[in-house]
Amino acid sequence: MIDLSGFPLPENCPEVGACIRVEQPEPGLRVLILDPPHRKLAVLDLPLLRDLGMAIEEAEQDRDLKGLVITGRTPAEFAAGADIDSIASITDPALLERAVQVAHELFRRIENLKARTVAAVGGAVPGGAFELSLSCDFIVANDDKKTRIGLPEVLLGIVPGWGGCHRLPKRVGLPTALPAILTGRLFPAVKAKKAGMIDRLTKPEYLRRVASDLAMGRISVKKKGRGWKGWLIDRNPLAASLIASQARKQTLAKTHGLYPAPLRAIDLVVQAPRTSMKQAAVKEAKAIAELATSSVCKNLITIFKGSEEAKKLSKLADGSSPVKTERGAVIGAGVMGAAIAGVMAEKGVAVRLADLSEEALDRAVHEHRASVNKKRKRRRMKPHEADAALDRLDPSPGLIGFGRSQIVVEAVAEVLDVKRKLFGEVAEQVSKDCILATNTSSLSVDAIAETLPHPERVCGMHFFNPVRRMPLVEIIKGEHTSDQVVAQVAALALRMGKTPVVVKDVAGFLVNRILGPYLDEAIRLFQGGADPVHVDKLMVNFGMPMGPFTLLDEIGLDIAAHAGQSLFEAYGERMTPSDGIGTMVKPERLGKKTGRGFYDHPKGKGKKAKPEICSDLAQFQSGTFAKSLNDQQIIDRLVLAMVNEGARCMEENVVDSASQLDLATVFGTGFAPFRGGLLRYADSVGSAAVVEKLEAIASASDVSQRPGGRAKFTPAALLQQMARQGRGFHDPAPASSTSTAPQPVGGPA
Amino acid sequence: MNVTSNNGPSVVLAAGLRSPWVRAGGVFRGENAAHLGARLGRELLARTGVDPATLDEVIVGSVGPPHDQANVARVIGLRAGVPWQVPARTVARNCASGIEAVTTAISEIGSGQGSLYLCMGVEVMSGYPLLFGDKMTNLFAGLMKARSLPQTLGTMTKFRPSFLKPRVALLEGLTDPTTGLIMGKTAEVLARDFHISREEADDFACQSHLKAKVARDKGRFKREILPHLPLRARKDKGSVQHDDGIRDDQNMKSLGKLRPYFEKPDGIVTVGNSCGITDGACALLITTEEKARELGLKPLAKIRSAAWAGLDPARMGLGPVFATAKALDQAGCTMKDIGTVELNEAFAAQVLACARAFDSAEFARKHLHRDQAVGELDLTKTNVNGGAIALGHPVGATGARLLLTTAHEMEVGNHELGLATLCIGGGQGGAVILERMAA
Repeated sequence: MIDLSGFPLPENCPEVGACIRVEQPEPGLRVLILDPPHRKLAVLDLPLLRDLGMAIEEAEQDRDLKGLVITGRTPAEFAAGADIDSIASITDPALLERAVQVAHELFRRIENLKARTVAAVGGAVPGGAFELSLSCDFIVANDDKKTRIGLPEVLLGIVPGWGGCHRLPKRVGLPTALPAILTGRLFPAVKAKKAGMIDRLTKPEYLRRVASDLAMGRISVKKKGRGWKGWLIDRNPLAASLIASQARKQTLAKTHGLYPAPLRAIDLVVQAPRTSMKQAAVKEAKAIAELATSSVCKNLITIFKGSEEAKKLSKLADGSSPVKTERGAVIGAGVMGAAIAGVMAEKGVAVRLADLSEEALDRAVHEHRASVNKKRKRRRMKPHEADAALDRLDPSPGLIGFGRSQIVVEAVAEVLDVKRKLFGEVAEQVSKDCILATNTSSLSVDAIAETLPHPERVCGMHFFNPVRRMPLVEIIKGEHTSDQVVAQVAALALRMGKTPVVVKDVAGFLVNRILGPYLDEAIRLFQGGADPVHVDKLMVNFGMPMGPFTLLDEIGLDIAAHAGQSLFEAYGERMTPSDGIGTMVKPERLGKKTGRGFYDHPKGKGKKAKPEICSDLAQFQSGTFAKSLNDQQIIDRLVLAMVNEGARCMEENVVDSASQLDLATVFGTGFAPFRGGLLRYADSVGSAAVVEKLEAIASASDVSQRPGGRAKFTPAALLQQMARQGRGFHDPAPASSTSTAPQPVGGPA
Repeated sequence: MNVTSNNGPSVVLAAGLRSPWVRAGGVFRGENAAHLGARLGRELLARTGVDPATLDEVIVGSVGPPHDQANVARVIGLRAGVPWQVPARTVARNCASGIEAVTTAISEIGSGQGSLYLCMGVEVMSGYPLLFGDKMTNLFAGLMKARSLPQTLGTMTKFRPSFLKPRVALLEGLTDPTTGLIMGKTAEVLARDFHISREEADDFACQSHLKAKVARDKGRFKREILPHLPLRARKDKGSVQHDDGIRDDQNMKSLGKLRPYFEKPDGIVTVGNSCGITDGACALLITTEEKARELGLKPLAKIRSAAWAGLDPARMGLGPVFATAKALDQAGCTMKDIGTVELNEAFAAQVLACARAFDSAEFARKHLHRDQAVGELDLTKTNVNGGAIALGHPVGATGARLLLTTAHEMEVGNHELGLATLCIGGGQGGAVILERMAA
């Protein structure tokens, strides 16, 4: 029996043997069903592994055993992989190393069983669940849309540690295994079969029968061997090192060396074909022990958990689901509106897209068709699915035919009266349950709702540009907005593949409010003589997806200036915008869209052309203070400007918790995920240190003399209080509870 | 059928929309019947606010539905967002298929089967296929049966290049198999019967274009046309707003230069005075007066009567005369009462022949068993916005457009009664009399 001493166990840890149900439907066959009583969805946690160990031990002693099937409670649910809560909570590398070894040994015993072993899987089969399957002789999977199989560990900052780094390349070869592990992609059933990751597909209803037949030798499947390729590529050190160096180069280009896990995975996978499973256990255990105890992994796991948590927003308080949105409408076929409507249509909502301009509608339909047809071509959509997606977007010249819409999203000009009037007209057509959602980024949702009948169905649904790529949606809950409406909008956002965050109706909402001081500070640094290329590089190395000047060009200088101005109007002194951007904005110099901003964006050369820094920037630089700042000081000014505003958001309860704020910064601004988001970064610096640094910046001569400089960098009250108490944003507040909910302690591990 | 006399519910044309009529092989060549039809259907349902689940059936008329969209009505219905529970059927009566969809609904309503129908006519003639001939088909069959290489090779030696000559579905579809006459030739028969000259025909064609141009420029068709961005349109192309067959500069001189197409050298029917091969779709919402009120709709027109008639297939172009006579009798009115007429312009010669037959007591005695002429067809009241010669004739869809255009014209011109009628390949005629609703 597996020795669990020393491991943290869940409070409701079930009795020994309770997690695995063993059935013997016929002589010579054992079916092991993963059925832990303490979990809604089976997780390969320690109690389950312990019981699996026992079941395997029994199987080893059963001399008449011919076949063994491992499967889930139902064909559609197998197991959710390893227990990430426990990974997140273990800090002792030695303990982790032992945990990995224990699983390795168990899986090796499954592999060495004399009986034919079959994993019968379905639903999500990620990470550890797939690794368990890989230790069986055969894998049978459900042939349906819900089945998704893969090794996503790298996305959480670790590597597949239960044999995945070795058994997958041995099974499918290096050229397939390496990208599968590095991207962490979950493969749909048919693709997994094609790649050789599984051996047989069958319908869920036949899963158990086919698996049993296979285990008992009544049917056979042809194993897809690698043949000569195995010797020429996988087992050839020369080819392997070539593949490794290529993969390393690509990975570094993407991660800037900030994420250790993919590199570690490359090392392991490339050597896998020449490594025994005994050695593999040692190597993987060592890798996990190092990676999983690092802050990168812990932070990535919190982000992952945060996004899982966000999915619960789509449920009502009593756990039920709100009405499913089948029909919607979008008003305004500009860049945003067209993309919102397009994504909705692709994800199964029938949308009417209204605009007065026929050209805008045509452009939107063209864009939608191009997007769908690309997916059709790449076989991401079947022809009939693509046809249906095309059918779901109907252009509407004006506000006609909205009567049956369940939600109307407006993305028209940012003028309060325009929006009010528009929604007023819409309200006359639609039922009182139809949600009126505004994609405004600068107007108050309450102000829009004020003049409308049934203000409880009015809310903000703030997408980010470009809509198709940006994964965050801010749901702005106005004063009257009902919970039902928030849940329904959150469900829609999730269906559109976005992560929702519920935000209070304050100017700039959350993301733009936090981003404002950052971009403003960047412009001030630039004016003060900083080199934009250098600053951009610093921030990319910090972990941002792009530097502030590249971002300004993407957003558009005019838009950024306008956003800065409206933040100033709302928050006053501390948001005083620099005059720098005003002098730069000219009709031909608005950023990427006009071909020129801080960078020169060569036109017509497609995505590959690299923008060059403009040569005439010196005329906008008046000061020299930035030249005396070192790299860390530059980073501090930029990032702490955000942290300070983030702290004010927490004071005002703009979001419910620090982890939601972190999630929003990661998904909305691309804030370095491995740092766990803005506030987690602040916590890692330490609140006292943050306060100290902020005070230093506030009293720097250039800052203290400029209008609003002191107000901007004077540490927020919450930060000062935290510094005194010696706690971070994520630590529970002492005694009187604040909005920061205490993290559940212990977890099942 | 007389729609209102038997105490049954009175049937109304509640609303309608059509696509632009577009020359086949042109900008709609990437279209297909289901996509185009569904777009129209969805838009009509959205604009009327009708819950598709409350429909009793989707009925679509189509002459040459695509082979990969069996029962195209069902495909259109589902793609238009009509739920599974609502059945759908495709109906055909050659050129009158669009009206057949409506008369089918009328019968259903009359017999109490239902009260709310989405009726359409859809034809994408661009999509008509080329077919392999019998010999090639047999060769393929032989190849499929061949079990060995020698057999395969043996079959292949039978191949002759002439086998590759395609059969054109379009041409064969437009040929009446019982008389062997292609439609143009039936018009030539009428031209000879009724002494219609080339000049008369060309003049009529010229007028059709002129009237259509004026109507288009006045925005008359905005009432009925839903602009459509065709599938596979180039990125720099916008949606099609107008019927694209209208020739703004059509004149007698250029028409006069064309050679007879069907009977050389003495025939009078040219491509210039015939209707074009066209793509298009038209959707109508057919319901009862009561139901329309319930749904808060303001119907376009009431259907007073509808009639079908058969005649000599070689003279199919006279179908409107036969059918109108019946429809007038049923409605209890005369041609004088009719304020506006849409008579499909298959061929200029055919329309002119109809006009003469309408007015001829002798024709009435000989063919219609009545002593008096059916009544004068006032050409100034007929096709006031141009007809198929200018707009085009997507065979299965035309009938529905005639009803829609008539209904709108009654409102525009303030007419009490309107007539929509057309000739049908194979020797039939169809006619529907519409009545304006009390405001």
